[in-house]
Parts: sequence; C-alpha cells; structure tokens
Amino acid sequence: MAEVILENICKTYGNNFRAIDQLNLSVEDGEFLILVGPSGCGKSTALRMIAGLEDITSGSLRIGGVDVVDMPPKDRDIAMVFQSYALYPHMTVFENIAFSMRLAGKPKAERKKRVDEIAKTLQLTSLLDSKPANLSGGQRQRVAMGRAMVREPAAFLMDEPLSNLDAKLRVQMRAEITSLQKQLGVTTIYVTHDQIEAMTMGDRVAVLKGGVLQQVDTPKRLYESPVNAFVAGFIGSPSMNLFEATLTGDELMSGTFAIRLQEAAFVRRPGLRSFAGRKVVFGIRPEDLYDSSLESGRKYQTIPAKVTSIEELGSEHIVHLNIDAVRVDSGDPDAVDDFGLASNAVARFEPISAVHSGSEIRLALDDAKFHFFDPETHLAI
Amino acid sequence: MTRQKRSHHRLKRAAAPYLYLSPSLLIIGLLMLLPMVTVIGYSFQNSAVLRRDPSFAGLKHYHAIFADPVFWASLWHTLYFTCMSVIFHMTIGMVFALMLNSDRINPTLRNILRVLYILPWLFTAVIIAVIWRLLLEPNGVVNSVLMQMGIIGSKVEWFSSTATALHAVTFANIWAGYPLFMVSLLAGLQGIPKDFYEAADIDGAKAYQKLIFITIPQLMPIIISISLLDFIWTMQVFPLIWITTGGGPIYSTEVLSTYTYKLAFSSYNLSQASASAVVILLISLGLTLFYIRYQKAR
Repeated sequence: MAEVILENICKTYGNNFRAIDQLNLSVEDGEFLILVGPSGCGKSTALRMIAGLEDITSGSLRIGGVDVVDMPPKDRDIAMVFQSYALYPHMTVFENIAFSMRLAGKPKAERKKRVDEIAKTLQLTSLLDSKPANLSGGQRQRVAMGRAMVREPAAFLMDEPLSNLDAKLRVQMRAEITSLQKQLGVTTIYVTHDQIEAMTMGDRVAVLKGGVLQQVDTPKRLYESPVNAFVAGFIGSPSMNLFEATLTGDELMSGTFAIRLQEAAFVRRPGLRSFAGRKVVFGIRPEDLYDSSLESGRKYQTIPAKVTSIEELGSEHIVHLNIDAVRVDSGDPDAVDDFGLASNAVARFEPISAVHSGSEIRLALDDAKFHFFDPETHLAI
Repeated sequence: MTRQKRSHHRLKRAAAPYLYLSPSLLIIGLLMLLPMVTVIGYSFQNSAVLRRDPSFAGLKHYHAIFADPVFWASLWHTLYFTCMSVIFHMTIGMVFALMLNSDRINPTLRNILRVLYILPWLFTAVIIAVIWRLLLEPNGVVNSVLMQMGIIGSKVEWFSSTATALHAVTFANIWAGYPLFMVSLLAGLQGIPKDFYEAADIDGAKAYQKLIFITIPQLMPIIISISLLDFIWTMQVFPLIWITTGGGPIYSTEVLSTYTYKLAFSSYNLSQASASAVVILLISLGLTLFYIRYQKAR
C-alpha cells in the first residue's frame, strides 16, 4: 500500500497533441480516487502513464515515495484491471489468476494457496477450472480483479472495468468493487466516464477535461460546489441547467422573466455584486425546478415554460422544457444528450405531476440553490 | 391451402438447397469423384487402360509396390521432404511474421520487407525449380559464395549428388512455401489484443515469456490449420522435384508423386501406378479427416 503522487505530469504525442497538461494529483494511501471526464479528456492516458504503459513526457510520478518515471511497469508495484479484462482465453481461471506468480517462478504449492484464498474472497472457487469464454461478464470481471489482487500491489489501477457489463450487473459490481477496496485498503485509481460510478464509488473524484484537471474533491462537494461550469454540467444526471442572464440590482433578467435574488445569495458570493449590470451565467439542477401547481406552499418564484417532452421513469418524471433564456454550453460533449432540439431545460418532477407534453406551465425554482459562473471564464463566482 | 398444395410447397422447400448445390456437386462428381473411383478400379485390374478387357487382379499391384524398395524409399523421402518443409515453413514464417509485426522496425522498411518476403509466393513451381537449378549449379552463385566464404572447399553438385539432392530440393521447397505461413501468422498476430501484452508487461513477463504464454497459444489454431493444409499440399508436390532432379540421382529424391508418375508414364504400368496413387490418396485422406475433425472441434 502506498500513496501515488503526480507532479506537473505532461503527455505530448509526436504530432504535438498535448493529452495531459500539468497534472498534479495526490492519492493518499488506501484512498479510492476516481478519474472522470468525457471521452478524450486524457483520463485513460493518465492511468496508463501511472501504469508505465505510456511514457511520461515531463513531470514526476512517485508511488510509495519512489520515483517511478523511468521504471518499467513490472517494477512499479501496481496491478491493473483493463476495460476488456485482458483475460487469456487459452488459460483457465486458475492459470489467469496465477499468471504473475508463474512468471515470477513461485512454487506450485504457493501459487495454489494464494489463488485459493483469492478465489474464496471473490467467490470464484467453483470456476477455477473454467475458461474465460464460459464465464458471465460479472465472473470475468471478478477474475480480472483476482489477477490484480494476487500480486498484492501497492496500488490498483482500473480502466473503466464496468463498461462492458449490462446496467443491472454494473450496479452490483459497483458495490462489490467498493466493498473489496475497503476490505483490502489498497490505494486505487479508477477511471470512468460514468459519473454515477464516480459519485458512488470514490472517496474523492478528479474531473479532467481536455487533459487539464478541473477539480478534485469529495463527490458531495463536487456536486454542491463545482468550481466551474464544466464540472457543474458534467457532474449530475441530467446535467445542471445553465443559462445566461443580466444581473440588474437584485434581479436576474432574461427574456420575458425576472428572478429576484435573496440577500443571502450575495452574502455567500461577495463577487456576485461586481457583475451588476452585466451578464452572468446561472445554473440550477433539475431537482431544484418544480411543477408550481404542486409547490404553492413553498412560495417559490415562478417563470413561464413550455413542456416539450416527458420521460416517465416511475419514481420521477424527467421533464424537458423550453424557457425564455439562452442556454450556456458547459463544454461537456455528453451533456448535449440531455437536451432535445426543442428544449433548453430539464426538470425532475414528482410522478404526481400532471404536466403533459405541449402544456404551458409555471415553473417554480428554488433560487437558494442557484450556482453562478463568470460568462467569460466559466469559473464559479 | 389444400393438403396437396402444402406438401408440394414443403417438397420445394426441402429440395431448394440441393438444387442450389447441384452445379457444384455435378462438377465435383465429374472432375474429382469419377477419376478417383476409376483409379481405384484400375488398381485392382491387370493391364488397366492398356487392354480393353482387363482381368481382376485383386491386391496383386498393392503387393507389388509394397515389395518394391523404391516405393519405401519414396515414402521415406516424401515424409522427410514434407516434415522438414512444414517445420521450416512454420519456423521461418513465424520469425518473419514476428519481425513484420514488431513496432521496433521502421514502418517504411517494414513495408519493403513485407514485399520482399512474400516474393517467393508469386512464382510458379516451374520458375522456382529453374531459379534453384541455376543457383545450385556446380558453377552457380551458391557454390561460388560458399567457396569464397570458405564454407566449402570444392564445388558441390547439389542436385546431382545422392548425399545432397534431397536436402537441396527440400530447401528449394522451404524457400517457396514459407510466405503462406508468414501471411497467415501475421494476420493472426495483428488480431491478438494489445491488452494481453500490456497485462503481461505489468505482470513482469519477459519477451520470450510473452511469446510462449501469449503469442503461440493465441496463434495455435492458425498454426495447426495451416500446418495440416501444408502437410497435405507438400505431400503431393510434383513439378518442383520433377524439374530439378526428376527423382534422381539413383532414386535419392524419389517421392510418391514422381514414383507414381514414372510407373504410369515411363513404365506404362498403369495398374501399379494406380495402386501407388491410391496409397497417396489414403494418406491424404487420413490427414484431411484429421484436419476436418480439428476444425469441427474448434
């Protein structure tokens, strides 16, 4: 077990494409850190550099206090779980798990003892003689975990290990990996593009975009206090609604509506006053928007909106709306999917809501939950 | 639909696949099965083809060829020629495929080598035979180079000496046949997921361990399939040997194909030639069945 420290890590490819730019990250001993970001953000490259499968162009990388930049993968005392699991199809489960011990020339009895222990932990004992082709996705995933565990490494590196599983199994394996990591207490760096995995599994989450680290924080703080519009848009599903408005006195003006901000909003963000008379980006999460006909007791402010479509999920309704405001792109390529062509906002309504597609409604919003961003830099105010 | 119409429709559906197959079945029947059955018939007749009313000979011709020491020499030469060819085709093909698949070789050089290595495959057996006859002539390039390098003291008659002729034709056949393995193995190598090697790197595998534990097992289906096919094809090689040595000197390069040919067209003993051909057929059939069983097992 060890801490993993990345200092000013850069990766530049031959065509001068910079995949990672000045990455600074400190993963504590026994911590479960998630690297998350949209496709092409450099998260897998960062992981592969830690593993030693990609050269580091510049910067320093220490695992357990040892500088490993020039070390081959085998000497870094890490184990990796690949997206494809990389199980050898011609070997049995036992042989796959014992492979690193066999390479190291460990005696047969020792190999058997260790593999049996791991198989017991991962409930693979009855499958030790099977070939990977005869295993289910979840079982293969566990074998890949076993192969990593057998080496008793200082750190686990996992590259989207659940992306090949169906939705239901993914939920189960998410819990299994989390509890296994807690049980083993091994420093783990886990790459994913799925922000539900990021929010539910890690002690901390590092958000990357275009090779640049945006924010490292606990899932809760990442959700509640994103440092910029990208993190705000990327974390949370459906994404946060971001709009442009003009701050006039205490009011946010956009198109045909105005929202009065409470004094507390300015007290919490002293910088917000400096945007008076200027444009500002405000964000609100879908769960902080309400069907006004159900919320008369709470006295929220309301704005006009037109319902364009509804996704009825049983426990909630995801309502796509059009409001008179200019939507701001957070820079997350995946966020576009949350909005249709005809809508610019998404709300999460209770299932008792009677709104229907095409109806004109009053949309209630909890202005205490607003997030504000600089329209130029997209940094949080 | 009436019952009659329904049964007519069912019959049409059942017959359709056979109707589609019928042209190829007809051609195979005429060009392969008919000659094969005829040759088998000849092997049990006296003076087959030569006489209008050949008499039944039983296993006489089989007894005759099994009693002929040249037949056994031919069988041994065939096995040597075939086994050595297949082993070296595979080894050279594997080495070249690994080389062409390696990231360490400059891509331009790799493309040039790919063309060069595949060249022998483009030549017909006759051209290969002529090339090697010229190269291995007593006054040819090979002798001259070997003598200059001090490896041999005097000119060697590669195709005319009983000590070297079989090795020389085998060598020429190896040269001509490795590209099939090379191309097949290269395709196989390119299909092995990169993750396997990366996982092995992390586990601490050395280059030879990756070859033994990952590359070769992953290529095994290709190695077995191509080896069996190569074995079947090489056993039947005729033109290369016929043009280079004609089976000589003193039967030292006689293989089953040249032995059979000579029986048929030099001695005009078509019945015995047919018996010899049936022996080749049985050996090939055994290998083919083995190949089919292997393919089915996969």
